[in-house]
Amino acid sequence: MRKSLPVEDLARDERFVRVPITDRMNDPRSVTNTRMRTQAKLTPKRPDASDAARSLMHGIFVGEIQALEGAGRTCWDFETGDGRDEAPFALKLDMARQCWDEARHCEISVKLSDWMGTEIGEFSEGTFLYEAACNPDPVLRLTGVNRALEGLAIDVFNTMRDFGDAAGDPVLEFCEDWMLADEVTHVKMGSDWLRRLTADDPERRKNALEFQRVVDKLFSLGGFRGEDDESPVKLARRFRELAGFGDDEIDEIAEVAHEALREAQARRDALAADAAS
Amino acid sequence: MADPNRPRAAFTPWDRRELPGSFSVEESAKRVGHYKWIEMRTFEVLGGWVATVPELDVKLRLGTHTYHHAWHAELWHKRLPELREMNQERLNVPPNDELVAFVDAMTEPEAPDLTIEKLVGVYRVLIPHKIAAYTFHLNNTSTITDAPTVRSLNFALADEFDDWRDGEMLLQSLIETPDEVQRAADRQAELEKLLLAAGGIAGPGSIGSPAQGEPDPESEQVTP
Repeated sequence: MRKSLPVEDLARDERFVRVPITDRMNDPRSVTNTRMRTQAKLTPKRPDASDAARSLMHGIFVGEIQALEGAGRTCWDFETGDGRDEAPFALKLDMARQCWDEARHCEISVKLSDWMGTEIGEFSEGTFLYEAACNPDPVLRLTGVNRALEGLAIDVFNTMRDFGDAAGDPVLEFCEDWMLADEVTHVKMGSDWLRRLTADDPERRKNALEFQRVVDKLFSLGGFRGEDDESPVKLARRFRELAGFGDDEIDEIAEVAHEALREAQARRDALAADAAS
Repeated sequence: MADPNRPRAAFTPWDRRELPGSFSVEESAKRVGHYKWIEMRTFEVLGGWVATVPELDVKLRLGTHTYHHAWHAELWHKRLPELREMNQERLNVPPNDELVAFVDAMTEPEAPDLTIEKLVGVYRVLIPHKIAAYTFHLNNTSTITDAPTVRSLNFALADEFDDWRDGEMLLQSLIETPDEVQRAADRQAELEKLLLAAGGIAGPGSIGSPAQGEPDPESEQVTP
């Protein structure tokens, strides 16, 4: 088996349909590309709350598969050691543990999706999470996946947990709370390893944090995640603190999300201007 | 209540553990080092395969099993210094080149249509041999002096039996035609021959030496 498996070779059964992130971002039907932003917060009162929640849960499911695959590849892709292109033994053990957690999250997501009336493959699969997990530097994998994307998972699970509570769905609330606990662990794992592996290499740390910023921005998806009340997914400050983020780091993510929102707004305005001319 | 001053034996009446064991500290450490090496190769390949198998149930089971074998590697890693092996990497080696050849062959399949070959290598060849070597160690080491190894062996064996059953049932559910039966059998035979050449996961003597009725001709027999 090769070291490093390209994203196009990810193995899936025939139910799954992949859509590149650029296509998703540019899809005019996307909430972020319409004037529906003020309705975008996920609450039971939204007319499309059921479909939006099912779509988000399916997104969680495919994200968990890729998180599982990414953690597994980190076990395989690197020789064990302390060199820059190696992964320490203890890091591999953590990634193996994450494999188990993500496999459980897949199981939970499948059952929740079924509970919510969704079939696997009913919504498309974006593959950016796995792409972030393919970086040849294990530290960048950690910042891209464990800090940026698993950090987003904290925000998403917190949002879904609140949605479950508001919708009177104790099963959803219960499961999301358990997965949230795991995600805090994974993000903390990423924070701890980032500090440990780059303690004597400020340049590497800078590159890793820059990569995290890029991933954070991409996954803010034009304001999908942010601190604004209308954001579909709200930044979960308290849980991020538990996961090892400092206040300044959380502020930066909030700013990145706000920046993504502004850019999306400018894109919508440009599209509207084009349509009018 | 019994008189607290009445002398009692050190061992409870139902405790039949004995002092003698077949392994010296050095021999036990050597085997534990081999166990760590093979558990590492096991969890690494299972983790790598997760992305390459299209079958969702197999994908999730492999993810779960990845952790089991990583945890075993950690157990053996922690046991080594307790066996006077302060450099935990020195004994983290395969017993011979033949076992490396076996692992190379076992980990070679990647294509999404080779799930049967992947699973046969781990669940019909490697894990049964791990169960055999661990069981031999468990049954032949001193249950008193080497009790920490015994405890880890019991934990590892519990996982190995569960994982073997999972893997075997996955295989039975994947194999649907006589041709696939043959594919599985051919793959098993190919890998068994390589593992035979290695003498097992801990090399010759992995499960003792039946001809002599002794565990390992090279190991020291310790009797009080």
